[in-house]
Amino acid sequence: MIEITHLKKSFGKQEVLKDVSFKIQKGQVVTILGPSGSGKTTFLRCINFLERAEEGELRIGDTRINLRKASRKEILNVRRRTAFVFQNYGLFYHKTALQNVMEGLVVVQKIPKDEARKRAEAALEWVGLSNRKDFYPSQLSGGQQQRVGIARAVALNPEVILFDEPTSALDPEWVGETLDVIKKVAKKGITMIIVTHEMSFAEEVSDKVVFMDGGSVVEEGTPKEIFTNPKEERTKKFLARIIPQDMYYI
Amino acid sequence: MSFSSENFFDSLQGAIAYLPVTFKLTIYTFVISLFIGGTIAIIRNYKVPMISQFLAWFVTIYNGLPLMVALVIYNLLFMTNYDNVARFFHISKTISEINPVIVGYFSLILSSSCSYSETIRGALQSIEQVQYEAGYAIGLSKLQTLYRIILPQLVPVAIPGLINNLVGTIKGTNLVSAIGILEIMGGALTPCALSYSYLEGYLAAALVYWLFSFVLETLAKQIEVRSTKFRRQIV
Repeated sequence: MIEITHLKKSFGKQEVLKDVSFKIQKGQVVTILGPSGSGKTTFLRCINFLERAEEGELRIGDTRINLRKASRKEILNVRRRTAFVFQNYGLFYHKTALQNVMEGLVVVQKIPKDEARKRAEAALEWVGLSNRKDFYPSQLSGGQQQRVGIARAVALNPEVILFDEPTSALDPEWVGETLDVIKKVAKKGITMIIVTHEMSFAEEVSDKVVFMDGGSVVEEGTPKEIFTNPKEERTKKFLARIIPQDMYYI
Repeated sequence: MSFSSENFFDSLQGAIAYLPVTFKLTIYTFVISLFIGGTIAIIRNYKVPMISQFLAWFVTIYNGLPLMVALVIYNLLFMTNYDNVARFFHISKTISEINPVIVGYFSLILSSSCSYSETIRGALQSIEQVQYEAGYAIGLSKLQTLYRIILPQLVPVAIPGLINNLVGTIKGTNLVSAIGILEIMGGALTPCALSYSYLEGYLAAALVYWLFSFVLETLAKQIEVRSTKFRRQIV
């Protein structure tokens, strides 16, 4: 289980997150929705210390960590138990798809190279890219790069995978294949927190939907509650503007 | 002005005889400056408090100092203060027993380190932020991310600038002749002192410098080709 309590973060005078609390059970898929600038990406990045929060506490399993004062060791510990999928893929340019997946297994988890290679190959096959394993990121399409990114995250066998708008940098034709892979990850029972703008995907895949605006959680509930019967005025307004346009794609 | 091929070949022999001096000056300076310059660039890139501000200031000031001026200043300081320093450290060698090339090394390394650091810093800035983040996110430490992810990507970006720096260093070694060190130029001009005809000597020195730079540049380009295999060729 992962729980974040009273998370606060600001950039200069701009308050980005105002006291956000959040809970996710093991095996759950939670999607975070909200307009740009609502702080959802910053929230995600605070969890694995890509941004340093000003206040807040993180509970992951039995460990409690102060998000502001965490030591280098604690940060490394959290990062080794989580995985992150970036909006712009974040693949290592100088490594092939296979080496990208192997890097964390060999260097961080100290798995012998042969074993790591087998696992990495399996992960790439699982996302349907075994024929591209020796390609460099520059030789792959956006969708393929993002699938390698997902394979890299899954292969690490983390307690939670954080997805930061995994499809918003992709061409419409590659969004589908990437979402399919994320659905596959969800079916595996891995805990996931997904920041996304893909409404129908969010509705289909998540156990819980969180709607954020202006740095705080406005409303949370099951996909059904949020999408068909939102309580807050702000959520209604947001969904009314987004959904018809989204229907267009389906 | 006449040109005697006999004198030219004498000068060429003289120049080649002193090629090892220039070679050693170049290679040692290059390797040590690469290390120091790289360290300066990394410290400034990670914005280490105090040290990075000091280095930024130092590099800016020092880059404005011509190598020749630095060289004669250090040489003067060396000449006038050697006795005191030697007495302090109980060194029994007299100044005439010390090879003045150490002053040459000192000034070459200091100025090269500053210019290399700027080349490397420029290359570091070209690497996207997400590469650091991706390294941290899979659980690599700061140091592991630096040498497993950032530095390998830095090499192909930095090499063209560093080749340029290397050629600059080769040319810089020529200036140490000002403090009485014999290198390619001195070797080429030694026979000229007898014939009173300097054209051959200058041309011989130019030829050897040019060949030397050409060989080193070609070698460095090989490294460049090897390190860029992951970048897509668009041009």
